[in-house]
Amino acid sequence: MPAAKNDPKDAFVIVRRFAAPRDLVWDCYTKEEHLKNWWGPKGFKMLKCALDLRIGGVFHYGMESPTGQAMWGKWVFHKIERPHLLANTVSFSDENCAITPHPFAPVWPPATYAETTFEDLGGETEIRLVWEPGEATEAEIEAFRMAHDGMNAGCEGTFSNLDAYLKTL
Amino acid sequence: MNLDHVFGALADPTRRAILARLADGEVTVSELAEPFDMSLPAVSKHLRVLEEAGLISKGRDAQSRPCKLEPETLKAVDDWLENYRRLWNESLDRLEDYLKTLQSTPKTEKRNARRKK
Repeated sequence: MPAAKNDPKDAFVIVRRFAAPRDLVWDCYTKEEHLKNWWGPKGFKMLKCALDLRIGGVFHYGMESPTGQAMWGKWVFHKIERPHLLANTVSFSDENCAITPHPFAPVWPPATYAETTFEDLGGETEIRLVWEPGEATEAEIEAFRMAHDGMNAGCEGTFSNLDAYLKTL
Repeated sequence: MNLDHVFGALADPTRRAILARLADGEVTVSELAEPFDMSLPAVSKHLRVLEEAGLISKGRDAQSRPCKLEPETLKAVDDWLENYRRLWNESLDRLEDYLKTLQSTPKTEKRNARRKK
């Protein structure tokens, strides 16, 4: 399991709460007809959304940015415990589902590992995504770690002063 | 610019600390070495890695050769990370909106949708 290899400090954690019952949130995460309505940044067009929900099954998606740049991705499912746990690798891919480097950056772990738990809070649902670089080189883990730093908004990461500096440019 | 070199250079806490120090302005090698419990040659080695990655440059003044950040490389790293941040944050924002839409669908429409199946 790739998850066991990584230092916990390199993990990426996102917690979000949704005003919706757990079964519905789970379905939104695991059904094509729902995923195609929300997966991808704002303004991106879905080119493909094919999901095979079983252990070893693949979610293959393609999206196009407003400037016409295509971005393909691939998940492979490792754990499916409806409705509370989903674990999968996350990779960038091409339109034929072959794993490729990150389209905007050549340095990124080839198969990151994500575990998402869905907690029922009585009508609301909290999802907790723990994401790790998986098997990767030091430079790849650093790229992942920096993305982590930046995503925890307001964090006191190593780069907070660099971020401040960049804003002055 | 080789991002592999850039992230390789960033993968070291001392080098990250050096960059953080340089964000406050140019400093000489000996000034840089002060807060780190490290010999000048060791610091110079880190600086060489940062320089080769294009993250810093050294001034022309032959005596002090102050180090400074290279904003363009940092900007490239930042732009790249920005794309990544957008994917998750915006997807989850969209999921939130989508869940609201799903739950506010009038009952008649839901019934019709069910009948179709």
